[in-house]
Amino acid sequence: MSNEKIVEISMHCRGGQTCITASQLLAEMAYEEDFKDTIAIPIIGAERRGAPIQAFTKVSKNKAIKTYDSVKNPDYMLIFDTSLLEIPTIRSTIKEGVNLIINSANSIDKSDLPENIKIFLVDATGICIKRNFMHASGPILNIPMLGAFGKITGYYNLETMEKIIKKEFGENRLEKNMSVAKDAYESVKEV
Amino acid sequence: MTEAQKDFVQDRETIIIKGNVAAAYAAKSARVQVISAYPITPQTTVVEKLSEFVDNGEMPGTEYIKVESEHSVFGAVVGASKAGTRTFTATSGQGIFYANEMIHWAAGARLPIVVAIASRGPAPPWNIWADFTDVISQRDTGWMSCFCSAHQEIYDEILMSYKVCEDHDILLPKFIAYGGFILSHTSKPVIIEDQDLVDKFLPPLPSEEGWPHIWMDPKRPLMFGNLIMPSSFYYEFRLKIHDASIRAKEKIKKVAAEFEKTFGRNYGNGLIQEYKMDDVDVGVVIYGDLALQMEEAVDQLRDEGYKVGMVKLRHFRPFPTEDILDIAKKVKVLGVIDRATAFGSQTGGPVSCEVKGVLHETKGTATVLPIINGLGGREVSLEQQKEQLKKLVKYHETGELPKDVIHGTLWDGLLEVE
Repeated sequence: MSNEKIVEISMHCRGGQTCITASQLLAEMAYEEDFKDTIAIPIIGAERRGAPIQAFTKVSKNKAIKTYDSVKNPDYMLIFDTSLLEIPTIRSTIKEGVNLIINSANSIDKSDLPENIKIFLVDATGICIKRNFMHASGPILNIPMLGAFGKITGYYNLETMEKIIKKEFGENRLEKNMSVAKDAYESVKEV
Repeated sequence: MTEAQKDFVQDRETIIIKGNVAAAYAAKSARVQVISAYPITPQTTVVEKLSEFVDNGEMPGTEYIKVESEHSVFGAVVGASKAGTRTFTATSGQGIFYANEMIHWAAGARLPIVVAIASRGPAPPWNIWADFTDVISQRDTGWMSCFCSAHQEIYDEILMSYKVCEDHDILLPKFIAYGGFILSHTSKPVIIEDQDLVDKFLPPLPSEEGWPHIWMDPKRPLMFGNLIMPSSFYYEFRLKIHDASIRAKEKIKKVAAEFEKTFGRNYGNGLIQEYKMDDVDVGVVIYGDLALQMEEAVDQLRDEGYKVGMVKLRHFRPFPTEDILDIAKKVKVLGVIDRATAFGSQTGGPVSCEVKGVLHETKGTATVLPIINGLGGREVSLEQQKEQLKKLVKYHETGELPKDVIHGTLWDGLLEVE
């Protein structure tokens, strides 16, 4: 990656699947490494559990980030829920060259997607259920999704994740957080 | 900034926080003594963070007063400031409108209250997103007001503002406004300054005697703000508010220079900040979050050979009349971009009206094109801003007005409606 390039990441989840927090944590994890500027942009309205939610993070090694606008041409897309891929406005943002990181145990329908994209799968839901990493309305997907993202990009490692998770959430449940991060880090696969 | 200062800045610890949290940290760094609080979106996390600081014992001696409305929020800080304390609160949109009576009171009583505003569009329809009409609607209250375009600037401007407001020659309250959600809820790296440095930069907290113009002593009861007859000094007090506000311009400049010397961050002359305004045909005056994004648009168009530049308007009250006159001499076409409305006025945009008013008496050749965009948080992308600059360049070159010019103003980014 060119040092002048601002890398743009979009996250899509449903209300309660924690991608707003993920965008903030990703900014912190990248900044902890050699990124000099970053911004986390949650799109906030009056959404409830289950409604489609978007959040964005931009990271940059050298160039100052001066934009606040939403990401239209993401370098990476984190899809927390495969049902969101059925929404035309989300599916149409999948453009050539994008890296898709999808929470899914099974392979996905690639029929109308551009050819030269990379697709990575991680069973974040399965990992959360296995490790009982849940809140009232379901699995806490942000940590495993960020584990997968860290592995694919190399922007940060598990140690950095641990440092930031500890800073944000304290020692409480740190071990459980790290167990799902590690599972995702080790199991994410390109398909 | 010198190279040495740059290193100095980068050595300091930064945290990645929301604009609202930066505002709360600034109040903490300024050692405010009284905070009054009532939640309203998108400001709420400012007072939430402060309640956390107070609860954790990180702000020893600070009174945190929970009240039942914004009118009482301002009532509480007016009372506390009158008693001679450094006060802080935050609000947004409808909260400002509800508090309007006490907002006038604070300025009339010459109280140096500093308030963060996460700006949102006035209802109806109900709106919680960026639109500066809320703070600008307080134009004639006597409060100073300024706009921030970055997270760090929110923290920095609150510190600078206490220094300006509490100056015994000024003694006026001030709003520090930033776009709701665009700055309030996005996160960026922010330097929280060393407490010793902040203490040295700011004036000392008011002594027991309080502010110089108020003598509040329970042993010697006095009435404040009582009825005076038209033949008495009401009229003269009004002149003094205007005079202090105009004189504040020099103080704002001085404090911005001192701030740069102490902390190494430059905010132009405090009132405005020019960006690439040398050798330009077309310039824009712009404020708030869109000003930072416009810097990127200017950079990209300059790379393509366009002679464009911009001026970030930092202060709305006092208005930088002299600076705007200087700017107008440098350009042929000046776009003035509002994210706010002034219905029924000359242009429909409050800042473009102001700029046109300033230029009225000059013999300059700059033509003003007022632009309104992003009302109620409507997204204004980098691409849209680049297009705005190109439209201004085309206007300069051909005299052809862009489409969507309505009553002389470009309403940019309207939905296509049949």
